[in-house]
Amino acid sequence: MKRQKFLSSLPSYAYLIILGLIVILPLIMIFSQSLMSNQEINRWPPKIYTPEPVFSNYVNMFKRPDLKLARWLFNSIFAAAAYTLAVFVICAPAAYAFARLRFPGNNVLFFILLATVMVPGQVTLIPNFLLVRNLHMLDTFHVLIWPGAANVFAVFLLRQFFMQVPKELEEAAVLDGASYWGRFWRIVLPLSTNALVALGIFVFLGHYNDLFWPLITTNSIEMRTLPVGLTLLNFSYGGMERPLVLAGAIFASVPVLIVYVIFQRQIIKGVAMTGMGGR
Amino acid sequence: MQKSESLSKTNTPKRFRMNLKTRETIAAYLFLSPFIILFSVFVIRATFYAIQMSFFDWTILRPFKPFVGLANYKELINDDVWWLALKNTLYFSIITVVGTSAVALAAALAINQPQVKGKEFFRVLLYMPSLLSVGVIGLTWVWLLNTQFGIVNYLLSFIGIRPINWLGDGKLVIPALSLTTIWWGFGFPMLIFLAGLQGIPEQLYEAARIDGARQGQIFWRITLPLLRPTLLFVTVTGFIAHFQVFGQPFIMTRGGPGRASYTVIFYLYEAAWRAFRMGYGSAIAVALAIIIIIFTLLQFRFIGRRVEY
Repeated sequence: MKRQKFLSSLPSYAYLIILGLIVILPLIMIFSQSLMSNQEINRWPPKIYTPEPVFSNYVNMFKRPDLKLARWLFNSIFAAAAYTLAVFVICAPAAYAFARLRFPGNNVLFFILLATVMVPGQVTLIPNFLLVRNLHMLDTFHVLIWPGAANVFAVFLLRQFFMQVPKELEEAAVLDGASYWGRFWRIVLPLSTNALVALGIFVFLGHYNDLFWPLITTNSIEMRTLPVGLTLLNFSYGGMERPLVLAGAIFASVPVLIVYVIFQRQIIKGVAMTGMGGR
Repeated sequence: MQKSESLSKTNTPKRFRMNLKTRETIAAYLFLSPFIILFSVFVIRATFYAIQMSFFDWTILRPFKPFVGLANYKELINDDVWWLALKNTLYFSIITVVGTSAVALAAALAINQPQVKGKEFFRVLLYMPSLLSVGVIGLTWVWLLNTQFGIVNYLLSFIGIRPINWLGDGKLVIPALSLTTIWWGFGFPMLIFLAGLQGIPEQLYEAARIDGARQGQIFWRITLPLLRPTLLFVTVTGFIAHFQVFGQPFIMTRGGPGRASYTVIFYLYEAAWRAFRMGYGSAIAVALAIIIIIFTLLQFRFIGRRVEY
């Protein structure tokens, strides 16, 4: 009986292990090839391991005048963190109003939000680009923070979360004389911490990994973000110095993977909770 | 901070007496106002402005931007590059959605098997690529798919397949970009499927087993029908997301070879930020929006009906 059970799970194991290898092998390979010299990487057959690793790629990467990887990493992290904060500051109160307050125009406003979800964000790219250009916000952090801060998706999710907070707790606070802000700030928000963390991680990662908007709204080498910088890195050195490019890819991935290792439980749970995938 | 002050003021009833309803309305709009301001500027205004711009010959370098009526749309209908981009995008989205859903569903079913151990490990491992940026994915896979030195061709050489020029062959470039995207993105639908599978009550399976149903029957008669809402969510959101593909062709092929991997957003980028034709770019964006809205509604009707039984 036990043997039969084990046998019946064999195809599942086989599939998961093969899939796992397909996922992990490319990552191991680009890591080991980032430690190769330009000659060694262009050898047939391709190798997954190098007997004489060289670290010069990781050093050179920071020396090239047209590459500012450390600065790009800072830009990406800072902009994503500021953006996440802005999303919370702007969307959480709005979500609370939709979740708990009664006001005229409630349904109309909510319908407008719902309707805009169907329209792809690319429609707003050109007008928003022209607006930030006229406001002289191109190539500053503002452009990476404000245009996307009214995040409709965040409002929907936060509203969902806030509605799950028991109403009785708020009613008790009303008897104690709490204002609307007090009910939101002291009761509903602290009780939604788990959900806020999950949402925050995905808002952060989505911004950290974004390519199009920072590509068109930044142009100085100092203001690029990592995804844009990596693209430029590939365009300039992809042909001749592949190990350098792969070292850049590893450098950009390490922070994300560290966050993943630390928050794996929250992230995995958060995907199902928020329906967001980090893109 | 200002907000909390003004709200606590309205709570002191001595100076003005407002009824509860008015106070709640004022509070609600104060809570909403930062959102409404940014939303109006960057979403509502921008959407209408995009529509408006699509009726103008709007070039960033020229101060005079004449009204041209439907000329941009007429040009679009006769623009071979647009139709090619649309065809490529549709092809890419369909095979990516199908591939991603199949790989993800199989992985979710495998992990969900009660006998399988290490569920947490597999979930964490298989979701990992989804967290990487498209920049990383792009320059990794350009190299993995390299004709001469790439590991994909190396592995294929063991089964006697000669080196394939994945990204340089017009017929293969879209499937190659799709393969890359499936590798990158299957983890997200996998987790959604897992959540869906866990929502199916165990008693249904037990009852089926008592009735003598085989594994295949259980899958087709119980699991799949009950998973349809999840399947709907995964395919609709996946299709919409993949239809907006930009990073992969931008980084890996720059639309090439020739224009074989032009996608709609890639073409939008070329038109608006390379050729500076913002009016024409707006027409592309509006056309894209219309297609996505129609497709969303169609897909909901099509699968939505079948969810019911």
